[in-house]
Amino acid sequence: MDNDIAIKTENLTKAYRSFWGRKKILALDKLNIDIKRGEIFGLLGPNGSGKTTTLKLLLGLVFPTEGRALVLGKTTNDVAVKNRIGFLPEESCFYRFLNADEILDFYGQLFRISGKERKTRIDRLVEQVGLGFARKRPLRQYSKGMLRRIGIAQALINDPDLIILDEPTSGLDPIGTRETKDIIVSLKEQGKTVLLCSHLLSDVQDICDRVAILDKGKLQISGTIDELLSSKDVVEMLIRNLSDEAITEVETFVREKHGEVISVKNSSDTLEGLFLKIYAANIGNSKTDI
Amino acid sequence: MQQILVIAKQTFKEAVRNKIMFVFIILGLITICCSVFMPVVGDGIEKIKIVESMCFRSITFFGTLAAILLSASSIPTDIANRVLCTVTTKPVQRTNIIFGKIIGFTYIIGVLLVIMGGAGYALIKFTALKQSVQGNNKLLAREKFDPYTSQVTGESAKKIGDVSWIEGGGKGTSVWKFKGLHSKNRKDDLDIEADFLIESKKRFTGKIPVNIKVVNPYTVKVLTESIEVSRNKPGLLKLGGEFLEGSEELTIVVSPENPGDFIGISSDSLKVFFGNKSFEYNFLKGLTIISSQFLLMVIIAVLGSTFLSLPVNILFCLFIFFCGSITDFMRDLSTVINVFETHEHVYGISTVLKETNAFMVFLDYVIRKPILLLSYILPDLKNFSVGKYFIDGINIPYKTVFMSFGYAALYTFFCLPISFVVFKRREMA
Repeated sequence: MDNDIAIKTENLTKAYRSFWGRKKILALDKLNIDIKRGEIFGLLGPNGSGKTTTLKLLLGLVFPTEGRALVLGKTTNDVAVKNRIGFLPEESCFYRFLNADEILDFYGQLFRISGKERKTRIDRLVEQVGLGFARKRPLRQYSKGMLRRIGIAQALINDPDLIILDEPTSGLDPIGTRETKDIIVSLKEQGKTVLLCSHLLSDVQDICDRVAILDKGKLQISGTIDELLSSKDVVEMLIRNLSDEAITEVETFVREKHGEVISVKNSSDTLEGLFLKIYAANIGNSKTDI
Repeated sequence: MQQILVIAKQTFKEAVRNKIMFVFIILGLITICCSVFMPVVGDGIEKIKIVESMCFRSITFFGTLAAILLSASSIPTDIANRVLCTVTTKPVQRTNIIFGKIIGFTYIIGVLLVIMGGAGYALIKFTALKQSVQGNNKLLAREKFDPYTSQVTGESAKKIGDVSWIEGGGKGTSVWKFKGLHSKNRKDDLDIEADFLIESKKRFTGKIPVNIKVVNPYTVKVLTESIEVSRNKPGLLKLGGEFLEGSEELTIVVSPENPGDFIGISSDSLKVFFGNKSFEYNFLKGLTIISSQFLLMVIIAVLGSTFLSLPVNILFCLFIFFCGSITDFMRDLSTVINVFETHEHVYGISTVLKETNAFMVFLDYVIRKPILLLSYILPDLKNFSVGKYFIDGINIPYKTVFMSFGYAALYTFFCLPISFVVFKRREMA
């Protein structure tokens, strides 16, 4: 296996069977993907397209019916390779009677991290995911978003080379979503590989280097965001401070050159951008008040 | 090992927060305490026996139920809540998860035994102290000796099944030899207990006189006594330990006193008790045997939890607990359902007529054989029953402790590898 490849699947197939052993659902059908080291790879698809099944197969939680998967050069039943993997499940499922510190300590011990190192990492991660104020509170009192945050923290407790995130921003508010995206980007900057699976297309578009789209268990398309979204015969220009007359002149010029103007409109921000601006302004005001 | 202990600690914490364990402990404690208020016919020793019996039965019953419910529910609950889904993505062998769970349950069993056993012991001591006013405060742990040879002689001797029958009036005798009778204190009581089947041709009053001749072969000291043996109560002859002076052997000759009276003898009909061991030590041995039963049920529950859902697994474990407690009855039942019709002889001996009955053949395949098979496959929980030792005030032999532990270990030896293989192949979907 190429050293640059973090994950490789070859004809990876999973069929769930009924109690009597009959084939019931073909969840994944001959999936072939290569994920390079150091990239953020997005797995997209509607519900039931086989995204989570792919992750489970890569983590050895379920076993392939056909084909195989190699993760960091090892087969998925190799327990040792899990030392280098961090995983955030779709639903944050933890012992609910433990608090943030205890749950991270529990997972840290499973990775055989020394006590001192564990403590350092727990302190850093709890602050990084913004749960410093609730670290001694039992997880059963956490909101869904807080559980996602602690889920991200536990996925990073072993300082993994490969992070697999299933719907990382699900249940998070826009601030939490932005922070999570920032964490993911910072992981890439540290040279780590991130495989994330989401149906929130904007999240994926914002941070992923490459994506693959699955539907009904089959790979529909894969490639870089630019490759998939760029349209060679359509040009987009963003221009600031242009008068109405100048716009008319530009349109005339385009027509003279046999081009077609599809639309002319004022640029608009995204809703996320607007929300973040308001949030930032409020923070600024409250700081002034203090 | 660190991972196993981490999972064990987590399992224990989970059980503590579940509160199921405490519910069973409280129920057990209530039952133990209720034994003090139970009415008793007889002397103070009977009262102590009732408390001892209730104490061990409560610990066994509620402890086993707690062990079953906790261990049968832990893995299925963790799978249903998807907690194990996260844990198995960490570098943990699935065998370590099973080991961790079992060790966690062992902690729980330990706590359960300490609390319930401690309360039971305190109550027994308290009862014994209360009875001391009447001079019956002795908590017994007598050493039991079985005969190394027994012989039935005389013209009346007749063997039916495992029982040899002899008639009184000099027409038959049984000779029993005991050796290795030793005690630290030679002045300890030496008790001979005769538990015979009895019959009589005469108007039967339910009890017959039996002659017992006790011989010390070393000093040739002879003691002849007549005791009454009844159907429900064994005859008891009390001797001082001094009788054994210079010897560790004893020969006992038994015969019914009157012609027309019969006694039926089997290999364990006559026992000798000599020397009183520490009750506390005996109590601990009892708890050790019970803990082996708990461990056995935990192993079975963990095995079930690797492939069964929570409610099915609990039912599966309760079924094993129930059937394991009545294996003797299951074997008897399978004996009763016989393919061939039998005819009861006038002397109580059944005769096989060799006539097959279609319905009986059906029963044979559908009920008898499966029951018989189950009775041999399922663990026989009678091996962990300690109540009888305390009721009879008998010291539990080390052999029994090791045998019960070995019995549990044998099942563990078979069940654990199956658990590992099944759990390793289980998908955390």
